[in-house]
Amino acid sequence: MSFLIAGLALVLLAGASAVVFHRWPRVAAGTYVTLLLAGAMVALVPALRVLTGARLPPLTIPTRVPGGAWVLALDPLSAWFLLLVLGVGAVAAVYGTWYLAGERAKGGVPQAQFGFAFLLVALALVVTAQAALFFLAAWELMALACYFLVVFDDRRADVRRAGMVYLLATHAGTLLLFVVFGLWGRNAPDLTFRSLEAAAGALGPARSALFALGLVAFGLKAGFVPLHFWLPEAHAAAPSHVSAIMSGVVIKIGVYGILRLITLLGTPPAWWAWSVLALGVVSGVVGVVWAVAQHDLKRLLAYHSVENIGIILLGLGAGALGLAYQVPALAALGFLGAVLHTLNHALFKSLLFLGAGSILRATGTREMEQLGGLARRMPLTWIAFLVGSAAIVGLPPLNGFVSEWVVFQALFTAGLSGTPAALGLFAAAGLGLIGGLALACFAKVCGTVFLGHPRTAAAQAAAERSVGSWGPMGILVLACGFIGLAPTMVLGPGVRVVGVVAGMTPSAAAELAAPVTHGARLISVTAALLAGLIGLVAVLRLRAVRRAGTATSETWACGYEAPTARMQYSASSFAAPLVGLFGPLAGVAVHRTANAFATHPANLVLDRLLTPVWRGVRGASGRLRPIRKGRLQLYLLFIVATVSLLLVYVAASGGEP
Amino acid sequence: MTGTPWLALAIALAVAPAVPGIAARTRSLLTGRRGAPILQLYSDLAKLWRKSAVYSTTTTWAFRLGAVTLFATTVLAAGLLPFDGRSALLRFAGDFVAFAGLLALGRFALILAALDTGSSFEGMGASREATVGSLVEPALFLCFAALALASGDLSLSGMLGTSPAHLWSTAGPGLAMVAVSLFLLALAEAGRVPVDDPTTHLELTMIHEVMVLDHSGPDFALIQYAGALRLTLFGTMLAGVVIPLAALPPALSIAVWVAVVGVVAVAVGVIEATMARLRLARVPQFLVAAAVLPAFAVILLLGSGA
Repeated sequence: MSFLIAGLALVLLAGASAVVFHRWPRVAAGTYVTLLLAGAMVALVPALRVLTGARLPPLTIPTRVPGGAWVLALDPLSAWFLLLVLGVGAVAAVYGTWYLAGERAKGGVPQAQFGFAFLLVALALVVTAQAALFFLAAWELMALACYFLVVFDDRRADVRRAGMVYLLATHAGTLLLFVVFGLWGRNAPDLTFRSLEAAAGALGPARSALFALGLVAFGLKAGFVPLHFWLPEAHAAAPSHVSAIMSGVVIKIGVYGILRLITLLGTPPAWWAWSVLALGVVSGVVGVVWAVAQHDLKRLLAYHSVENIGIILLGLGAGALGLAYQVPALAALGFLGAVLHTLNHALFKSLLFLGAGSILRATGTREMEQLGGLARRMPLTWIAFLVGSAAIVGLPPLNGFVSEWVVFQALFTAGLSGTPAALGLFAAAGLGLIGGLALACFAKVCGTVFLGHPRTAAAQAAAERSVGSWGPMGILVLACGFIGLAPTMVLGPGVRVVGVVAGMTPSAAAELAAPVTHGARLISVTAALLAGLIGLVAVLRLRAVRRAGTATSETWACGYEAPTARMQYSASSFAAPLVGLFGPLAGVAVHRTANAFATHPANLVLDRLLTPVWRGVRGASGRLRPIRKGRLQLYLLFIVATVSLLLVYVAASGGEP
Repeated sequence: MTGTPWLALAIALAVAPAVPGIAARTRSLLTGRRGAPILQLYSDLAKLWRKSAVYSTTTTWAFRLGAVTLFATTVLAAGLLPFDGRSALLRFAGDFVAFAGLLALGRFALILAALDTGSSFEGMGASREATVGSLVEPALFLCFAALALASGDLSLSGMLGTSPAHLWSTAGPGLAMVAVSLFLLALAEAGRVPVDDPTTHLELTMIHEVMVLDHSGPDFALIQYAGALRLTLFGTMLAGVVIPLAALPPALSIAVWVAVVGVVAVAVGVIEATMARLRLARVPQFLVAAAVLPAFAVILLLGSGA
């Protein structure tokens, strides 16, 4: 544990150094990166030890505040998420120094870097805190740090609005968490997780109410439909390295919360599992449909986070079904799929956001219809983005495929379980649809942004930047490829996490996951064969092409001789058949004239549901204005009335508050 | 591992180019023409492989890698299928996900190759291919789900091997629905009438063919070969569902499998001769129908307690 504390202190120190040395940008960048990387590595030591089987004693800080001691502990579940926080966080921080270097003139850069380091520490505390008040404190620090990072570019009105919506959403979640822990702790001696877990059995029907409230509270962070409304706005508005950590890591804290909730509340009844599974299908399908309709690159990636949270929930729901219907193999596979996809999504989504950041820096736009032909101009970014795209679509031989494969197996295991859980099999069709739509969406992104001709002068002038831009992406590419080629390496630690969530011993969980471990070895073989086969066919083709000779010409346009870049298929056109297929659900306005076609997507929940409702509430409160005109007598009357009402309540309930 | 899976894979690769030939010949005969020889595609492939290729100045390595990846993934996907009803080259729990993933990777590579040309025709084809592909996936996974329920196994070798044959008495209706659905998916995946028409002359109405307009020479040969192989793979799955292949002696099982693939090719030809291509807006309905059938099969199989 001392390693963890020391590491986090170093990370915080890194943030401070960025502020202290802000007059000397090179020194500041150097100390910031060095200290932060060192801190992350030191803090990861205990996490890796726990994930490979060590047990570390918890750190207990006695306090005088209500709720008992503040406990800091690392079990495999915490360690898994700590790995996410510090691994992806360190890469994003390094990228951030390059990304923000261009913003120095605007000011606020040292503060943003401090804020980022602060966010990493807050995240690390959230996943290691084992007492409710400590957890809530860290949770709030995390939420506020995110807010200040999102509104970095606060001169723009849309950024301020996105920040405000985010702040409202996250505080609604925090409020619910206070309710959850407050109700839960009424029968517990203190608010440490250990006491809460012990008290969960005596909760009775309140247990389900706590789960429902907790699901909404953590759902507001995880961003599944319909609680995702703040997510596309905030993730698009934030600087790209902040988008990367928010989409890659911060929303996963919501997943962590749900996993922890299930762990602490004990065996879930079936309806919890079914609701999680249903939320997963809805989130996955609707998220990807909205992504297909998007033409703003970062917003599109944000909607894909909604989709991938859906996939994680499919695994989580399958695992919970396994617990509810007592099918241990299903529980093990479902939770394994969920935790693996959590890690994998963190890797490839942050990779894609960093890619989007480099594109934004090189061209000044994230509007896909303005781009094109970047593959020639930014070859390294292109390769990194392509790997990230193939991974998020779930194509072999990359990491996204591995976790989707486990989730599929969980759903099929449910089907064969001979219990009511078998109906979960239908979610497999949903997962198939999600994969197919994601493929269409990333074909659109890669094709419109990187392939073909540049559509504007800005895209024409784009060029690859320094190693600070593509280096961090390279590390994430290697991580995605490594997990895809050697999935057994992450299965072992993943199984330990499953042991915690499903309440099994590590060896029992490992035994249940044995078919997956066996299959994972053959997936490595398949991946190697795939690489070999592609190489072989490529060589044969090259020889055939060399022998016969080649010619170059313009792209064949069916006889038309003067094609221009504007004649290329646009992102709107590419997405049109799918957008048309889903009709009103896609939520787009189609703009069609004789010579132009464009689709404009809307944020259905925020623009069509929440904003009108909020407007209604404001109107109603306006009607209450006559009773709050600022007259002191009236307010005194309110106070007296309230106090007397409370006194009546106390008297009526027999003196017990 | 015995040599049989290798032999079966080699036979599949060898007979695949004849499959579209049989379909085309059937269509010709039924419409009162003689048509091209059944083995026409073999000559076409040999000729294309020797021909020089024309590359657009717009294209990059993404274009050159597209056809290669499509072909390699299709061959590897073939390695996961038990052609003669016995074990495939690679068999593991959940290998059906790898099968679908490999086909999807091939499709992704070809779509990117099409978009690499910057042509609006190919963009149009790519967009349609992506739409069709995204609707094929849920139907395919529902077919796998029904087969898994019928056989109690999570590998393709188990689903298409021995088990379903014995289950025809108990799970007959469900398996029949899966068989029909697999046939519909074969038509969609191989770009055949009524989803797509490979022989039309108007690019605006095509899906697959318009997407590969710019491919020529060896690249085009790979695409044609992969297309034939995909049709063969779906025919093979159909054979595995319908015929108890593993119950037959090895040599006979291979012969029967090849014969069933031939019958599927004839059926494709009959459909092409008797039906027009659907309007593009109707294609999703066709694919939803292909998904509803195995969904009913799953309900039936769950209900019968299998």
